[in-house]
Amino acid sequence: MRQTYAVRSLILVIGLALVGAAVIAQMIRIQNSEQAKIFLSQGDRYAGAFSMVYPERGEIYDRGGHLLAGNRTVYEVGVSLIEMENPDKLASVLGTYLGLTYDEVYNKLTGSPENWEYVVIQDYVGAETVSSLQQLMQQMEDASDDGLTGLGFKPHFQRSYPENALASNLLGFVTRDGRGYFGIEEKYNDLLAGNPRQVWVPLDPNKATDIPRVPNGTTLILTINRDLQAKVEGILDRALANYGAENGAIIVMNPRNGEILAMATTPRIDLNNYIDYFSTYDNGSQYNRAIGMAYEAGSVVKVLTMAAALDAGVVRPETTYIDTGSIEVGGITIWNWDRQAWGQRNMTECLQHSLNVCLAWVATQMGPQSFYGYMERFGLGHPTGIDLSGEAMGRLKVPGDSDWYKVDLGTNAFGQGVTVTPLQLMMAVSSVANDGHMVTPHVLYSMLRDGHQYNVPSQYAGSPISVETAHTLNEMLAISLEQESSKALLPGYRLAGKTGTAQIPTDIGYDTNHTNASFIGWGPADDPQFMVYVWLQKPSTSIWSSETAAPVFSEVAEQTVVLLNIPPDVVRNQLALTK
Amino acid sequence: MQATQIIHAYKQAPWRVQRQYIGAFLLVVIGMAMIAALYLDVTARAAVAGREIQELRFEIAAVQRTNADLETQLARMTSTAEMQRRALELGYRPVKPGELGYVPVPGFVAPEPDILSAAEDVTSRAQALPIEYTQSLLEWMDERVKTGGSR
Repeated sequence: MRQTYAVRSLILVIGLALVGAAVIAQMIRIQNSEQAKIFLSQGDRYAGAFSMVYPERGEIYDRGGHLLAGNRTVYEVGVSLIEMENPDKLASVLGTYLGLTYDEVYNKLTGSPENWEYVVIQDYVGAETVSSLQQLMQQMEDASDDGLTGLGFKPHFQRSYPENALASNLLGFVTRDGRGYFGIEEKYNDLLAGNPRQVWVPLDPNKATDIPRVPNGTTLILTINRDLQAKVEGILDRALANYGAENGAIIVMNPRNGEILAMATTPRIDLNNYIDYFSTYDNGSQYNRAIGMAYEAGSVVKVLTMAAALDAGVVRPETTYIDTGSIEVGGITIWNWDRQAWGQRNMTECLQHSLNVCLAWVATQMGPQSFYGYMERFGLGHPTGIDLSGEAMGRLKVPGDSDWYKVDLGTNAFGQGVTVTPLQLMMAVSSVANDGHMVTPHVLYSMLRDGHQYNVPSQYAGSPISVETAHTLNEMLAISLEQESSKALLPGYRLAGKTGTAQIPTDIGYDTNHTNASFIGWGPADDPQFMVYVWLQKPSTSIWSSETAAPVFSEVAEQTVVLLNIPPDVVRNQLALTK
Repeated sequence: MQATQIIHAYKQAPWRVQRQYIGAFLLVVIGMAMIAALYLDVTARAAVAGREIQELRFEIAAVQRTNADLETQLARMTSTAEMQRRALELGYRPVKPGELGYVPVPGFVAPEPDILSAAEDVTSRAQALPIEYTQSLLEWMDERVKTGGSR
């Protein structure tokens, strides 16, 4: 009997074991079947989604920590077509809130291809509008109204410029596709934008840590002083109105290290409405005239001619020249600006009275090889290398060029026949204010990334003249300003500088009715801490820079010494003694 | 001899052998149940933590957006034009160079803006730290091999 039970039990066990084994075998078969692979791949598709993560664009600050370019949240307003219950209601509400027509929205909602699950109604919608829509949605949900079911909002960043048009020519702008144009935004676009990454975002909570972190773009600190920039822009705008000039540019730079403290040009646009660019500018070079537009600067170039001649030992400050009112160079007669003979003059007086004939004579005494060698070393005809997008090179014709004539040596000496940008000239003249060393102008002060700070060191672009030459010419230009009783002077401060009134070349010769008025100056003369360049295009109240650009320089210098805490010379010397 | 036989018979008793099998089986089942329970518990906790991580990520993104919005709002409220307007309303006017007084303050260093003082200056740190503090043992050995033991 017991044996029968045992046999039956054994059969039962074997039977159950076989069933179990069959179940396991079937499980293994199903797991490894072709269909299983298809199911697995389908499952993987719903295990997460690829998502492009755009890092927050780096911010831009001035040197005082004031935000110049930041980001704000805007929304993509869209509708899930699968969840949508009432397209009529959605079209009506969204049309009203988003400023669209009923038909526009309704057609998007009902006319989309059948396989579409989601449709974008409008992007870059402000937070206030979205907040109102969300409130309405809540109210309707509370009232069990499913009219807005399916409506969704996806937040993302948009560039925002809290100072609107301030420093717009220098900052540039970012379009909706996230790309920077002009200025800092273009030059440092890669750094600011960071590295967008396509990431797999798993729905499985166990894999949540697998989502990679996408670091934000690099934050930039500029050398710009926001308050000085605002003052300089105000001065430039007033100058254009007062002197009837078409356009202009003013740059303030530290001649010791090349830091740009302010750079104002006209016209400017509100960067939050960058679309105005197309109606404001004819071409890209107009966006920042200080670096993008080369012109014949006129007598401000005499600073370089005199620097070269002094350094080459061709003349000394006390060297005299008898000015007869004209000089012939290369068979062409060159005249003074007033067509008068100024008689015997030393080199300081030649600069003071801005005598073309005298400076043309100086250049001929140097000879073309020496003269153009110096001009090359001053960087004329080459970009300065400033870290802003859209820099022009200017043009320096040299012997051997097909369009160079002997007379060019004479005219180039007083800034005609050679084109430069205001910044190029500033960089060249910085050698006079900075003990013979030429600085590379730059706008970036520091970079911040992941909590670390990287400072940008100053760079020098060579020493075209000696220390002695720089000091001598610095003194000559300070004396010439004082003796001229220039409108560029600032009480309490000894400044050095030079005016420049240049005729404007046209296709049929020089325009006799209009000029470019320029002024370059720096101070304090014994310890230069700022350098200012003023350019007014076609001033109509007076063609002379001594009556237009010079007083503008004085006004800029006045604001600069206040904002940079530069005491008057007497106070500064007293403070130096107490140290 | 008889006692030994009784003990042996007791050890070999069928019910006792069965109980041993059942005990061993139950032990395995309990062990597996414990492992399964532990696994489930850990998995459940991991799932909850994972969900929290996901939520925190969304929260971080939202906070970052709010932060950026507030920064921009603050910048708008303290923009040059706005500050100038408020200053003029309060009766202030721009200062002239001659109206300023200068007082020497020994040892005074102008404070850096918050944005810079909050960040670590990598440039200066890199210059300040000697190589001994940054070089790994392998790098040191590599350098010694390359330089022939002399620095």
